[in-house]
Amino acid sequence: MEQQHKSSALLLGLLVFSALAVLTAVEFVLALTIKLWQFLVLIPLIKAGLVLYYYMHISRLFEADLDSDHESYTYKLLTNRIGLWLFLLSDAFIFGGLLLSRINLLGLTRPDLNQVLGLAVTSILLISSFFANRAEILMEYGNRKQFIINIAITMGLGILFLVGVVGVEWRLAPFGPADSIQGAIFYVMTGFHAFHVLTGVIFLAIVLRNGSRGLYSAEKHWAVEACVVYWHFVDVVWFFFYPALYLIGTLAK
Amino acid sequence: MRKFFSLGLLRGLLWQILGTAIGIGILTGIRQLLGLAAWKPEPAIVFGALLGAMFFLYGVGVLNDWIRVAAGKEIPEHIDESGLGWRRYFGASLDHKVIGIQYLTLSLVLMVVGGIFALIFRAELANTGMQFLTLMEYNTLMSLHGIVMIVGILIGIAAFMNYLVPLLIGACDMSFPRLNAFAFWLAVPAGIILLSSLALGGFDTGWTGYPPLSVRAPIGMQMFFLGVSLAGFSTILGSLNIIVTIIRQRAPGMTPFRMPIFIWASIATSIISLTATQLIGLSFQMVMFQRLFGMGFFDPGKGGNPILFQHLFWFYSHPAVYVFVLPGLGLISEMLPVFTRKPLFGYKWVAISSIAIALIGFLVWGHHMFASGMAEYLRVPFMYSTLLVAVPTGVKFFSWLGTLWRGKITYETPMLFLLAGIVVFLIGGLTGPPNATVSTDLHLTDTYFIVGHFHDTMFGGYVFPFFAAIYFWFPKMTGRRLNEKLGKLHFWLMAPAFIALSLVMMRVGMLGMRRRIADYDPALNFVIDNKIMTVAAFIIALGVLVFLINVFWSIRKGEVATGNLWNSRSPEWQVPSPMPIYNYEKPFEVVGEPYDYGLPGSVYVKFKESE
Amino acid sequence: MRHVVIITILVIASTLLIHTGLTNIGLLPAEASAQSVEIDQLFGMYIWMISALFSLIMVVLVYCLIVFRRRKGETGDGAYITGNSALEIAWTAIPLILVVILAYIGGKSLGVIRRIDPSAMKVKVIAGQWYWQYQYPEYGVSSTDLYLPVGHQIDLLMTSNDVIHSFWVPEFRVKQDLVPGRTTELRVTPTLIGEYKVRCAELCGTRHAYMEGLVNVVSQADFDNWISEQQSAAPADPALRGQQLAQDYGCTNCHSTDGSEKIGPTWQHLYLSNVELSDGTSVVADDNYLKTAIVNANLQIVKGFPANVMPDFSNTLDQTMVESMVAHIKTLK
Repeated sequence: MEQQHKSSALLLGLLVFSALAVLTAVEFVLALTIKLWQFLVLIPLIKAGLVLYYYMHISRLFEADLDSDHESYTYKLLTNRIGLWLFLLSDAFIFGGLLLSRINLLGLTRPDLNQVLGLAVTSILLISSFFANRAEILMEYGNRKQFIINIAITMGLGILFLVGVVGVEWRLAPFGPADSIQGAIFYVMTGFHAFHVLTGVIFLAIVLRNGSRGLYSAEKHWAVEACVVYWHFVDVVWFFFYPALYLIGTLAK
Repeated sequence: MRKFFSLGLLRGLLWQILGTAIGIGILTGIRQLLGLAAWKPEPAIVFGALLGAMFFLYGVGVLNDWIRVAAGKEIPEHIDESGLGWRRYFGASLDHKVIGIQYLTLSLVLMVVGGIFALIFRAELANTGMQFLTLMEYNTLMSLHGIVMIVGILIGIAAFMNYLVPLLIGACDMSFPRLNAFAFWLAVPAGIILLSSLALGGFDTGWTGYPPLSVRAPIGMQMFFLGVSLAGFSTILGSLNIIVTIIRQRAPGMTPFRMPIFIWASIATSIISLTATQLIGLSFQMVMFQRLFGMGFFDPGKGGNPILFQHLFWFYSHPAVYVFVLPGLGLISEMLPVFTRKPLFGYKWVAISSIAIALIGFLVWGHHMFASGMAEYLRVPFMYSTLLVAVPTGVKFFSWLGTLWRGKITYETPMLFLLAGIVVFLIGGLTGPPNATVSTDLHLTDTYFIVGHFHDTMFGGYVFPFFAAIYFWFPKMTGRRLNEKLGKLHFWLMAPAFIALSLVMMRVGMLGMRRRIADYDPALNFVIDNKIMTVAAFIIALGVLVFLINVFWSIRKGEVATGNLWNSRSPEWQVPSPMPIYNYEKPFEVVGEPYDYGLPGSVYVKFKESE
Repeated sequence: MRHVVIITILVIASTLLIHTGLTNIGLLPAEASAQSVEIDQLFGMYIWMISALFSLIMVVLVYCLIVFRRRKGETGDGAYITGNSALEIAWTAIPLILVVILAYIGGKSLGVIRRIDPSAMKVKVIAGQWYWQYQYPEYGVSSTDLYLPVGHQIDLLMTSNDVIHSFWVPEFRVKQDLVPGRTTELRVTPTLIGEYKVRCAELCGTRHAYMEGLVNVVSQADFDNWISEQQSAAPADPALRGQQLAQDYGCTNCHSTDGSEKIGPTWQHLYLSNVELSDGTSVVADDNYLKTAIVNANLQIVKGFPANVMPDFSNTLDQTMVESMVAHIKTLK
């Protein structure tokens, strides 16, 4: 029975990933063809909704407490969840402010960036979210070994994302941060985001290490849940940053 | 020697010095490696200051448990701090009561420092011409007065929310005690960095730090930006803790409309602090990046927009003023029933009014920018939204009058300060609509009228209620009460002098005295008004001095007060003073309304009998 | 109830007293513009409102403090009144209606002070640290004093050369920031002849307190005279005009005319010389070079000199002015 639950959970994770991948492809194609910014705002919202509901399990916040003992693990688990989500809410305001700055300063222009590279790093981050979700499900079913493998893959892909953006993209960009307003916005947005990816990678490393020492169980693995939810949040931010920087608008002169 | 280092604060400071030096060294080293001219003071000092703050946090000890968790080790659930005595207050305590008092002490220190800055430049302004300050010194002291007071207010609010919230809801501590300690201790290096601007050339922009001026200001400007960003982060984490604690740790039977009214005020305040604060951090960091990396966000020559800064900045800084006053207004609502012996009139409406003010407060920021050159069509909507805030604020005033009506009123010191708060906030609030209306604001903005308006709202919504709260809860913290005679002297020095100060400010502002000026034209005939303002400022300072003397004396020699001194229904007064270390040995259940004074036989909380 | 009657009388008395006090201590400067008349009406309304509301709340407050104080020996609590829904609704709804009315009045008032007169005279205002400059494009006149003909709407088109400043004459009431990189607009109709001061109203650096200038509102006849004076005072010889402009706009603060070293390159022997630029290329300092260099220096920085220091004059100097300055530079051999 549990095996069945696990399989269907993993399958759901795969289906959600497929939907996200398709939506990303649609985004890319729309940006090349129709060029209506409204779609390029709507699609990220749909992607974000999918991740918030299926990967980040936002509905768990509203579960009734089974145990009203304030000292019990389950009570504290929900308390911790609320704390984490409030932290993410606060963090979202920074990214919101950056998006508003981009809209104010760039309007319907965009920086001259390598589209292949942009699509590549976006895909890497999306795939990493898939593996993060897998890792969490496997931990929920007590499958320690598989959990470790999937967390390691997530972390590897996260590092690859950083290499792609900070290592490659930043070097290849035809502008520096001080050259133009496109440059300034590009570096500040990708910089803030990359900083969060870096902290996410460090968090993943900690969870990987402690996980391989057997510190987490199917019943008690809050650190895993927190790490994975944070990772998904960082991915959701990129859902909005990617079109804002790469897809919306025409190239500035 | 070991005892010396056992004090977290001292360890923290030493580590901060070390971290600053290492930071400066690392940055200079990186520049060298990159082939740039090695020594560039600004980036080195900024990075050094940042690293210094991080090292401080390690040194004071607030990171130790988290490092242990990351390393996979166990950490204790509860820590028994009872053996540590006074040392608890100088290190990383996890007890919300200790942290509350730490915050309170820091806020008083900051207010005294900020106040001294004001006394210095008020002495300068008593005459025309520059007497003893240079223009840059004046601008720096004036700017620091503003931001140090603001940070002092944020810290003072954290003091009362952290001290009172768990006590009022029947919890033994906050939901995240270690986060609580971290958030407090982050504020200390933040304050140090902020004040270090004095040694690094100062800054001449006012606390609002507008570019392009802030881009060309001395290095002290960066210390301002960094210090405020760090203090902002402290506020965010603190408010997160408050919200979760209120949601999760309430005593059985404490339904939302049976919570003490200060809890509602704390929720409303924390909603704002948690979210909007990020925007001032972002706007400041963007100017820091413009200075450090040439990123032209606000440089028109590079396609940037100086007005974007103002939108980002005020999107936080307006709601911030509601952060400053909502707790104080909540404290007035909390304490008034105790001194009138009557229920809080219209409790539900007052509770909702705090939330309404918080939410509407997000929609009004443009009224700081009526003359800025922002898009014309935005001015009218912001005028409507700004005037709208008056409605929930009015609900509070009328509720206070309703609470006084047919009460049995006594005039102990806390009550005097509550009344001063109401009167002064009334003046501040009534001078709001002319500022909210665009055409009159075009005359008033950037004048002393605004300075008068915000001093009124700050003193009425924070300073006076804050003093009331200290006189009220001091016995709960220490088991002794503050001296009533000195308390009344403090009141009679501070309140009339302050009212005079703010009325004169508004008068000269309307007549043409601009704000943030180091000197003024004698032909304007403002010399006498300025002298009055200076004298008033010194009288206020005298009042604060009396207060501080009272505090230092009463901690040791004050009249013992271990019982329910004010005959309050609130749970924390049903147990002895000082508050026991675990708060409530026996948990309580809420069985009635919080403010049912005058209803015979009614009870608010019932403590569980021991098994 | 007895209470209500007494309170009502006291509130009315207090309102009148406070209003009389506030209107007699002199709170506003002279009304010297059409806008100030409109705005002062609004201030008048607010003074009534503040007097009334302050009185209402203060009278009830003080009344309670006196009438409902605990007398010696009295025990027991106050009256058990938890609230009154009707009152709550009333004192929410009435202020709500009141603020909507105030906002509406405010909106109309804004419309009045922003009324556009198509025949308004345009004056360009350029501010910098810490000076005011004016240009009258219709007359080809520039000045450091602002002369305005009474009774005519003036359309001030304003910008800053460096940081944010703000134009304010208290007697005119209206205020507007000057922002680098954009033009902001302020319409004023001066109605009272006299000398006023414009003072910068946005903190703009150390000498912000001293950033003031003369605003002289004169009769139309006097204004016309002044314009003629300015026009004839301006030397007919473009090179002399250019020399004057170089003074007025602070060029000589950074550029010497005698070969000495200052922040920017010297103008002596500049015309038609070979100039090495920061990117390594070399150009001849001909008319085109000079024109670009004056208006948009950062496009071509001379080697050895700092970039981003010379302000952007593209909004400040018009064609004729630039040509005069080039003419002046040409004479510096």
